[in-house]
Amino acid sequence: MKKTIVTLLLLLMIIWSCTKDDFCTQSPVTPNLILRFYDDINRGDLKSTSGLYVWAENKDTIFINQATDSLVIPLNTASNQTIYNLSEGNVVNQFTINYTIRNEFVSRSCGFKSIYENVTFSSSSTWITDFTPTTLTSIENQNSAHVQIFH
Amino acid sequence: MYRYFISIIFCFVVVSTFSQEPTKKIEEKNDSIVYTSPYGIRLGIDISKPIKAAIDGDYNTGLEIIADYRISKRFFIAAELGFEDETTQEDYSNSTAKGSYIRLGFNYNAYENWLDMNNEIFVGLRYGFSVFDQTLNSYSPNVNNPYFPTTPINTPVTTSLNSHWTEFMFGLKVETFKNFFIGASFSYKVLLNVKEPDNFKTLYSPGFNRIFESGTGFGFNYTLSYLIPFKKK
Repeated sequence: MKKTIVTLLLLLMIIWSCTKDDFCTQSPVTPNLILRFYDDINRGDLKSTSGLYVWAENKDTIFINQATDSLVIPLNTASNQTIYNLSEGNVVNQFTINYTIRNEFVSRSCGFKSIYENVTFSSSSTWITDFTPTTLTSIENQNSAHVQIFH
Repeated sequence: MYRYFISIIFCFVVVSTFSQEPTKKIEEKNDSIVYTSPYGIRLGIDISKPIKAAIDGDYNTGLEIIADYRISKRFFIAAELGFEDETTQEDYSNSTAKGSYIRLGFNYNAYENWLDMNNEIFVGLRYGFSVFDQTLNSYSPNVNNPYFPTTPINTPVTTSLNSHWTEFMFGLKVETFKNFFIGASFSYKVLLNVKEPDNFKTLYSPGFNRIFESGTGFGFNYTLSYLIPFKKK
């Protein structure tokens, strides 16, 4: 009888040491950059892109032939700069994002979140005529668009 | 799930307690000899920790010395003193907790021994205190998009921490040879206070084991101990 209890306790210990008690439900943990596309003349109106291709410098294409007024793109956490090429109708517009990274602890299962600080944007101004704002103090969440793009 | 397992253990206890009682009553009626039991200090070690260190790669070292002192028929003052070094590997972080702990409290023997037997099925309460260092060895930011691969940040950060907790114990001790005991116990711990590092969390505390989200923990030990008898009562 006692041996049974001891064996049982030992078995339980093994089971306990393997269980996971929390799962990361937060998504996304590290925020992406949200671009919103507006009309250049009527600046209050959203204007969708037509046939937009997106890729980061020296990377594969992330979006192909997009007709959208909102673009969600990740930033490189391993660098202080991310350069995106936005191509519409074979005209490439380079959009550069500079930032510093601060990693903030979220939870055991979610780990660390990267917060982009002192963000500055610049554009090669081909088909994108204007954008606002040019600087942001930080990108911490995805609650709203970070940059308005006019074209 | 845990409640289910705990319930199972309690079922076994009830069975073994009841099975002994009728026999004992018969003995008392027919025999006028008074059986005495030894009082003294009992010292031992937890052998589950060295075994765990040998088989579990994340558990680096562990040692626990146990002691108890019998103060009455059923009450024992009990203490555990230990050292642990454990690495916690999570999806996005790797950290090591290393330090010492002490647990103080008492055990109540709920087992009715017959003749000159000297076994225990006990419940116990403990106060636990631990002083340790937690090192965040490495982490990588949680990026949901695989477009840009992440690079782990390998700058270890060590923080001196401490924790306090209370503990409810349940276990048994069996005298296998004269004055030599084999015991096992299971404990449920509730965290009272823990010092958290900056921009991280205390994931493991020596003596407490993994700190679950709710501030609770589980423990187990398997002990070999020797009783140094002072007197017989």
